[in-house]
Amino acid sequence: MRKATLWILYVCATLLVAAWATITLTVGGDRSTLLIGETTDAHHQIELACETCHTARLFTDSATDSTTDSTTDSTTATEALNQTCRACHDDELQAARDSHARKLFRGPRMAVYRERLDVLQCTTCHIEHRPEVTRPGAVTVATDFCIACHSEGDQDVRTARPSHAGIEFDTCATAGCHNYHDNRALYEGFLIRHAGRPWLAQPPLHKLSERYRTAQSGQQARIAPLAPTSALTQPALDEWASSGHAAASVGCVECHAPSAASSVVLDDIEAHWIDAPDTAICEDCHEAQADTFVLGKHGMRRHPLIAPRRDPHRQLQAMGLLERLPSALVAWLRDPPERTRMTVAEARLAMRSDAARALDCGTCHRPHALDVARAAARACATCHDDLHSRAYFDSAHYTLWQAELAGDAPPGSGVSCATCHMAKARRRGKVVTSHNQNALLYPNEKMIRPVCLDCHGIRFAIDALADADLVLRNFQGKPSVHVQSVDWALRRVGTVDD
Amino acid sequence: MSTLAEDLVLLTMDVDGESSLVQQGALECAFAGAVLMDLAFANRIDTDLHTLVAIDRTPTDNPALDRVLAEIAARPEAADTRTWIAELTNEADAIREEALAALAQRGILARQDGLLRTRRHALVEDEAKRRTVRQVADVLDSDDIPDPRDIALIALLDACDLFLEVLPEFDVERHRPRIEQLHRLDLIGRDVAGAIADVEHSIIQAVRARSARFRRLLLHLSMLGAGAALATLLLPRIPIPDRLGPGIAELLWFDGVWQQWSGYLLLGLSVAGLAAGLRLKTRLGVRKAETTPVRRPAGSAQRWRLYHLGLGVGCLALLFAHTGFRLGANLHAVLMGCYVGALACGALVGIATGAAPQLRHIGIGPNARRLILRLHVWLLLPLPALLVVHILVVYLY
Repeated sequence: MRKATLWILYVCATLLVAAWATITLTVGGDRSTLLIGETTDAHHQIELACETCHTARLFTDSATDSTTDSTTDSTTATEALNQTCRACHDDELQAARDSHARKLFRGPRMAVYRERLDVLQCTTCHIEHRPEVTRPGAVTVATDFCIACHSEGDQDVRTARPSHAGIEFDTCATAGCHNYHDNRALYEGFLIRHAGRPWLAQPPLHKLSERYRTAQSGQQARIAPLAPTSALTQPALDEWASSGHAAASVGCVECHAPSAASSVVLDDIEAHWIDAPDTAICEDCHEAQADTFVLGKHGMRRHPLIAPRRDPHRQLQAMGLLERLPSALVAWLRDPPERTRMTVAEARLAMRSDAARALDCGTCHRPHALDVARAAARACATCHDDLHSRAYFDSAHYTLWQAELAGDAPPGSGVSCATCHMAKARRRGKVVTSHNQNALLYPNEKMIRPVCLDCHGIRFAIDALADADLVLRNFQGKPSVHVQSVDWALRRVGTVDD
Repeated sequence: MSTLAEDLVLLTMDVDGESSLVQQGALECAFAGAVLMDLAFANRIDTDLHTLVAIDRTPTDNPALDRVLAEIAARPEAADTRTWIAELTNEADAIREEALAALAQRGILARQDGLLRTRRHALVEDEAKRRTVRQVADVLDSDDIPDPRDIALIALLDACDLFLEVLPEFDVERHRPRIEQLHRLDLIGRDVAGAIADVEHSIIQAVRARSARFRRLLLHLSMLGAGAALATLLLPRIPIPDRLGPGIAELLWFDGVWQQWSGYLLLGLSVAGLAAGLRLKTRLGVRKAETTPVRRPAGSAQRWRLYHLGLGVGCLALLFAHTGFRLGANLHAVLMGCYVGALACGALVGIATGAAPQLRHIGIGPNARRLILRLHVWLLLPLPALLVVHILVVYLY
């Protein structure tokens, strides 16, 4: 009898665990223990928002017809997964003038290539939860993947280009010569056009930074601050007085009492006063910065396409179970609270141990000072503690940055962390800083056109970025690697001319 | 008065009516020998160098003894004791079941219905078993002149090397002089003593012949299993070659269709292994449908043990095909840990069984084996739930 009872209890426990797994996977609950493998560095922050990528309905046929691009209900699981990739990354690929855009491979003439490597699906080369085959850039296809299309017929680069004879295919995308998507600074015409430039321009100035920094200098407060006496502190006032906000007539009220009907009636301001405003207040005005912040790893958790928490009520309602289950159980089935901010502790790069905080606008920009100079370099070092970040403060780039800040060098001559990682761009006639610090990070040749070429020649830039040790040393010294792409491009042109 | 077979049943069963004896083969020989010894005590058989013959065909009122006596009497050509031991080991299950039935009839055991249409016998109270154990221990501890049947029982236990299993706390080597002395005591009638000695000698030969081969096979298979389990846990995963194309490694470990094949084959093999394990465990129970004792081939427990182990080794091979030494993450890693742990413990039990005599010399007895066996079972328990989780995650995402 005792044994029979134990067996019954065991079967019940097994059924309970199975029920828990089914409900957690389909209705709601913490799914962190169910993850099948480590998520890539690109997506680990959103790994528990599974529906961001896994949008297919349950038990959808996993077979895929790679020629379809349909969004109908008959969409396969793989196609649905790939649609979510494109939803987030298509703009980036368009901006990069994708060398292997999907539209190039849709036709029947390309079927033979698709057969070898299904380039219409992002997941052919970027599949999640497979850490052991995940290479930099979340690439999971073999390094010699170019062999699929460029080893035969008129696409055979080894016969079409004598310089490529005998080169192994695993070096195409790893030696600094080519990228699969973004070749804006690597295609032959561009290399030839810029080949004659010296390694260092005279004077070395980053043009957009020069415009931006010039516009920022000499800012003066134009209004008097108005705030409850208890909230006005001298340090805060001093910081604000020399900030861009003061120069743009943005006082205390705009951030601390945005819902106040009047910006001059103190009682009304006091009634609506917020001591620590949310980042949504910043986003109201700094739209361009906010839009790009959510594209990088610092702010991707706030990206509008990240799936929200599942609503167990809706799921159970659809299953006809909502009324039958006790409300306590329904409440228990909620997904864990959404984490809308990245924390330093969750980072996979080396970080300072004393930097345990969540990332928002105020992390880099002190709320009252809004010191963009500090945010451009020093603020990064309050968290980042990897070799490249630490070496920056011993580099020539930093020396130039200090000289610029001290007024000993012209605006745009200094190189901060933001100069390279948060490139400036023109937007509606103004120069704005992209807050997507990952946009130019990988592959690093993406940095050549918008950043490096303002000061350096293309040969030097390509060599420097291909020298992994030099990158770690934050470009202290000269490259020990030489990428021959410029030489070969010039030689080929010479041959044609001959 | 109880028969030697009944005493053996009592000595080898625990309170749940299960026998977890390591040496099932030896026990089968012991049951065969017990019947022959009881027939010798009842003056129904006699032996010489070449033959074992029935000298009195009068029934003994014990079904088991009478059945065997009839078989001996009915045999047209003469056979020696060793042949009869070999033949009667095929009936060891039947002899044991008849002994169980006799003990149940006397109220010492109670019949219970078990799972899977099996019937178990549980001790109504421990006293009967304790009395038998004490009886053996007293004979060995004292210098008194024992009952001839006790000498025969001790001879049986000694011949089949069962002392450690039935009396684990007993230091048999310390009592070796007393056991030798009991062998020399001329307390049994000369004819009976000759038959008993002949039976004992034949048992020793049969046990040695059978257990040596079985143990060797068991040990090799178990060591293979243990090595494979250790390799699964400790070796680094087999890397996927960084070359484009459908390599076998990529197909095996990353292709959905291949993964399903290897996964479900692994599940099937695991279920088969579990079934073999249950068969081994329930082999000593009596099927409800069986109204008469069943003649099962000798060494069937040994064979089931080998099947069970072989399937375990097969599971490890398929597990390699399914994972390539990848341990997984989160609950999937727990599933892998429990599964490999259960297989490793199973292999260790096999080693403990196959190398029992050697392990005994270095102080590792049946208690350690029982502990690992329990761990083997405990690690199996969470597998169904974890497997459901694993399959659901794979199909739903």
